[in-house]
Amino acid sequence: MRGTSAIVGIGESTYYKPGGATETEFQLTIIAIKRALEDAGLSMKDVDGLVGYAEDRNEPNRLSAALGNERTRYAALAWGGGGNGAAAPVALADMAITAGYADCVVAFRGLAQGQFGRFGRAQLVQRVPGERAYRAPYGHASAPMSYGIQAQRFMYEHGVTYDALAEISLASYAHAQHNPRAIAYGRPLTREDYFNSRWIADPFRLFDCCRESDGAAAVVLTSAERARDLPNPPVYVRAAAQGMERRANAGGSDGSGYNDPDFPTAHYRTVAEDLWRRAGYGPGDVQVAQFYENFTGMVVMAICEMGFVEPDEVESWLKAGNIRWPDGALPINTSGGNLAEAYIHGMSLVNEGARQIRGESTCQVDDVNLSLVVAGPGAIPASTVLLSKDP
Amino acid sequence: MSRYMPEGWNLPEIDDLNRQFFTSGKLLVQQCTECGTVQHLPEDVCHDCHAMTFDWVEASGNGTIYSYVIVHHPVHDMLRERVPYGVILVQLDDYPSIRIVGNLVDVDPSEIAIGKPVSVSFEEVEGADGEMVTIPQWVAA
Repeated sequence: MRGTSAIVGIGESTYYKPGGATETEFQLTIIAIKRALEDAGLSMKDVDGLVGYAEDRNEPNRLSAALGNERTRYAALAWGGGGNGAAAPVALADMAITAGYADCVVAFRGLAQGQFGRFGRAQLVQRVPGERAYRAPYGHASAPMSYGIQAQRFMYEHGVTYDALAEISLASYAHAQHNPRAIAYGRPLTREDYFNSRWIADPFRLFDCCRESDGAAAVVLTSAERARDLPNPPVYVRAAAQGMERRANAGGSDGSGYNDPDFPTAHYRTVAEDLWRRAGYGPGDVQVAQFYENFTGMVVMAICEMGFVEPDEVESWLKAGNIRWPDGALPINTSGGNLAEAYIHGMSLVNEGARQIRGESTCQVDDVNLSLVVAGPGAIPASTVLLSKDP
Repeated sequence: MSRYMPEGWNLPEIDDLNRQFFTSGKLLVQQCTECGTVQHLPEDVCHDCHAMTFDWVEASGNGTIYSYVIVHHPVHDMLRERVPYGVILVQLDDYPSIRIVGNLVDVDPSEIAIGKPVSVSFEEVEGADGEMVTIPQWVAA
């Protein structure tokens, strides 16, 4: 926090459609970590911390053996089963480094849906236990339903239409056309394509929904002091925040919290307050942002809750081109994001946020000092990290 | 009442927390015996005073649609014939802090709208394991 640690290396595997990877999920994860370390000018032996999120299958026990880590001092996993945690491992790494528990921490996510199954399919299990018992019997059995119910109410309360959702999708696809890593590279999306795409769960059409992908992404963090001796410009961790409001999960459904007194919410109201207070900056100081797209409507909500625009104004703000590179006031998802680059549960958005500080994005924003990453909206605990060029 | 979702589709696994909700044939809400707070989903602990003893109170069964989604993409083969269907979130008239997931079983999904009044109706379903459940559902009021 406040620039005591920095991202010094970025790496990722090739990004594939689900089932498209020739490597296993574990191999993809190793590839991403190796590349991040090479990028940082460090070796496997330097790593003494491994942090992840989203119940990652690639456990530190197996990873540290395969990577040949000399001595692991720190291993941690952020809570939550989804992209809500995507920014949290950066915070965990920063905490460990700042407090002296580790010197060189890798934050990673490996996700091969071809190997382990896709999220967008329901299972027939006859008897559904726990929280899902209150929704699966009604055919409420996948993520677009949880977040569709959230977004539908938000749209109703604030006069937001499908046009606003389209802006999120069109921006991601437009930005992906500059990014050769993106699965949608070379496959532009028009407004007509968007509106002609099939309904998944109204209010969401096909192009409102994130992809499902095979791939892995990783970043390496170390102390600010050590970062200054390494080859890349340090990407400082200015501030991070994780959390949820009171009774966020009440009523269940993947953290949508249907009986949350604050419903509908992306769960970023309290988290945003903490982030800006810790950072000493506000939304108006940020040059570029990555907003995790599970579904476009949730991104609209997250943009509002992070303080960039009021909900009643968000549709006109989006239509004015504010999120488009290169001319918008706040270009978002400059790699193509989860919709058009790849769905690595949001870790790829951390990599892109760091690239923007280093000046290496394929949609590079001019003079970036503050680059924001906002993880999965609607799932909890929510997480976000603000990266900076200045320590 | 026959089932809105296909025969053989997922049913709730009955446990100590949900037995009353899914087997009583009444629309029941969990109420804390210490502070009187009502809450849903049923929990082991009161979200307000953290007491651990509860009563069940019967709601009138009248509510309004608070939000909804219209499902077009079948997430399982068994749902291919069922789509499009609506999943609604019902706010109870007499316990407005409570919102419950269900289906609106008697009208076309195109008629689902926020603010529409609905009332409860129960589906009695016998699982493959022989255990009966009464699933709260909704009809236009």
